[in-house]
Amino acid sequence: MDWKSTEQASMERHAPNHSSFSSIPATENTVWADASPLLETVCKELRDGELIHGDNFNLYAAMSALEIMDPKMDSGIINKYASVDEAIEDGLAPVPISIDKTVDVQCIIDIIDHLLSCEATWHKGSLVGTDCFFMRLPLTTIVSDARTHEEEDLFTMSYGLPLNVEGDEKCLSLLNAVEENISRQLRACKAPLSKRKPLEDIEPLQTNFDLEEGYCKALLCRLRFRKHFCHVLTCMRRPQGRGLELARKHIASCISELGSILNSAEFLMFNAYGTCEDGTEDRTTASGRQAIGFDANLNSRISAPTPPRSIKILSWKKAIKVHLQLLLVQDGKLYGRYPILAVIIRAARLTEVIMRHDILKNEYFVQLGQIVINMLKILCTNAAWQRRKLGKILQDWRAIYSQLELAFRKESGEGSSISNGENASAGILKHILIWVEEQTHWIAHRFLVLGFELELYSPSEYCMVYWYLSAVLIRLAEKKHLKMTVSDGSAKQKGKKRKDSPKDLAREARIPPAISFLQCQICLAEGLALLLAALRNELIVLQSPSPFNSEHERFLQHFELLQKACIPDLISYPSFKESTSCARISSVVMYNYFKDAQKIAKEVKSSFLNDPDRSAELRILEQVAEHNSVALNVISRAGALDPSLKVSFEFIHHPYFATVVVKRS
Amino acid sequence: MEQVQEKQRTEEFDASEIEYVIYGGEHHLPLIMNLVDQELSEPYSIFTYRYFVYLWPQLSFMAFHKGKCVGTVVCKMGDHRDSKFRGYIAMLVVIKPYRGRGIATELVTRSIQVMMESGCEEVTLEAEVTNKGALALYGRLGFIRAKRLFRYYLNGVDAFRLKLLFPQPEELHPFLPMMADRDDTQNHDDHSPREEFLLKSILFSEVVCKFSSLV
Repeated sequence: MDWKSTEQASMERHAPNHSSFSSIPATENTVWADASPLLETVCKELRDGELIHGDNFNLYAAMSALEIMDPKMDSGIINKYASVDEAIEDGLAPVPISIDKTVDVQCIIDIIDHLLSCEATWHKGSLVGTDCFFMRLPLTTIVSDARTHEEEDLFTMSYGLPLNVEGDEKCLSLLNAVEENISRQLRACKAPLSKRKPLEDIEPLQTNFDLEEGYCKALLCRLRFRKHFCHVLTCMRRPQGRGLELARKHIASCISELGSILNSAEFLMFNAYGTCEDGTEDRTTASGRQAIGFDANLNSRISAPTPPRSIKILSWKKAIKVHLQLLLVQDGKLYGRYPILAVIIRAARLTEVIMRHDILKNEYFVQLGQIVINMLKILCTNAAWQRRKLGKILQDWRAIYSQLELAFRKESGEGSSISNGENASAGILKHILIWVEEQTHWIAHRFLVLGFELELYSPSEYCMVYWYLSAVLIRLAEKKHLKMTVSDGSAKQKGKKRKDSPKDLAREARIPPAISFLQCQICLAEGLALLLAALRNELIVLQSPSPFNSEHERFLQHFELLQKACIPDLISYPSFKESTSCARISSVVMYNYFKDAQKIAKEVKSSFLNDPDRSAELRILEQVAEHNSVALNVISRAGALDPSLKVSFEFIHHPYFATVVVKRS
Repeated sequence: MEQVQEKQRTEEFDASEIEYVIYGGEHHLPLIMNLVDQELSEPYSIFTYRYFVYLWPQLSFMAFHKGKCVGTVVCKMGDHRDSKFRGYIAMLVVIKPYRGRGIATELVTRSIQVMMESGCEEVTLEAEVTNKGALALYGRLGFIRAKRLFRYYLNGVDAFRLKLLFPQPEELHPFLPMMADRDDTQNHDDHSPREEFLLKSILFSEVVCKFSSLV
């Protein structure tokens, strides 16, 4: 079959009829041709069940393919307008929006609010699937840096919109001019009639005098927020963190203006013109009205190749949060000011005089800095993405530990003995090694507990997770305590030699509060692991075996990344089985971990009075421990095989330490 | 891809009346497409169906009751990025009146069986986080929730990536030999689980003392 001649013949027979295809005109390089005869011929040639399959037509291509005129997939079929220009010509976004100035102002405020919500949604990790006729967003590059997206979503394409990255200065001068004008209008409406001079007779913002002050204030705080926000971004782009102090002031102003924006909601809702959206929680405007000039379907013909996803636009407040993340690491420095190595030195409890030491110029310290920056950025992202990345970076932390350990051995071997303090390099490396181990275990602990927040564990897996978590927490506490003891020891050695008083000795023997905090968590994790094991061993909680694999495979899968990085070492499925196979309710009652956790929480409470977050968590840990202790006694008294007993594990107090709930059916 | 949702009104039938059939050709394709189009919200082009059933006909099954197609499963398998030979469950549907009677479990089990026999190391799929039925079904078969995918579906719902790892031949239950040795070894088996944990907790303070003496 000569396809080319058939095609040409069909084009000649059916000259383009422009009136049939009026909505999308042909260009200089394109022409409309009727392909119906060609398709008919092809269909006659192919038999039922025959498939033309190209090697590069993979699953992605298959999923991206459309069936035209099927509304489920062909989003263009339901469009009224083919382009932004067509919609504007049809009056979808008139300027002014209304001849009634009050309505016009209300609608403009709605547009500003909706744009802020779209921006917040974009930063939070969704595609901005709506078109904005009035948008000027000098923020495109910031989105790329924000790292809030699933990788496949990060396409900053404007789809026909003039997103003007270069026009920031013009934007700022416009904002200043409008702000000045509205400030005058506000002053004018607040001045008593008697005191108004002819020169100050300024045209009001809108026609309803009683509402003038409210609308002026509502507009002003929004304009000022946008102005300060632009200034923040400009300041942060200045090299070597020079704009940091000024950026901080602008951020404070942003936050203050956000407060004013929130306060304006009541006034705007009360005076809303037209119908409001149902469900105030989802509203994207203060007034509750839908903003004019936005259409999710408009550019769907030229949007991403997959069918459009639904976007839940967030409320206004979230935008500032993501931009604050940008402050965290700028130009390889924390807050653009503190070199990351200095931060590490301080965290490892070394004195900053060490910064001048030559060993810090080594390649592995540079790498360590990069790894830490990477971790900080990951911690700013959404939980699902964060957990995946934390699991992956464990290998990097292990690798850098190995390098530092090699260097430490080399330094210790070459130099004089450590105890007389002459081998400073070895001393620095030892501190850093302990700190790296502590951080690695902290990352592992965060990886595990995020699994609870993301609901990645089924109840039948809680036992192994709590067991693994307790092992990681034990190592974390060990490393943290070691870090504290080693640095206290170094400090003491440098101080004047004097006889230790009994008080000093007693202080040294006390466990630091931060370690006790971890011990409380360890007790809870151990208690939960053993209780779950006991319930399973005594058939209180039945688990039917899977036909395709066993608990061993599930253990390997859940902890694969930690096992690869040997965190913690000597932990395996066999050791888990060994630790838990003999667990019984009676033994769990006898060695009551929950009571220990309660006791520790009570003892250490007073040490965290100045730390509200830790205090709050300690209270919750105590609550969980108390509940679980009581539940344990109930289960023990009821007897192992009481069929009316229903035991469940619910996260009603703490996000990852479950509360044991006992019910009688 | 998508999995079946909760049951509503039921049809009375005996399990033995359900006939399970492997994909047999073009005549089965419209049955599969109609079921999936009817029950699942994500739109699939005909190319998507053909991609699966033409390349892996041995992995697609249908359930018939008195000549009517009431359920189907569509899968694929192949080498994955990290060179693991992996099966993938793309679509699973059972029409509402027939749900809750194990038909979906049977369909999936048959596919997984073929995957296992074909040498797959693991099987994977995505399911909505709200789809309790699917999550329970796959959980019973040994799948774990490996990842959470933020706003994966068109309707904005998150998804879990579910994974089933088959036992690897060289790692067949190393625990068992240790069980056999339990009676022989005396050192670590003397301690209760509580003592095991206590020992680990006490150990770190010993380590601390050792290190501080070195400084």
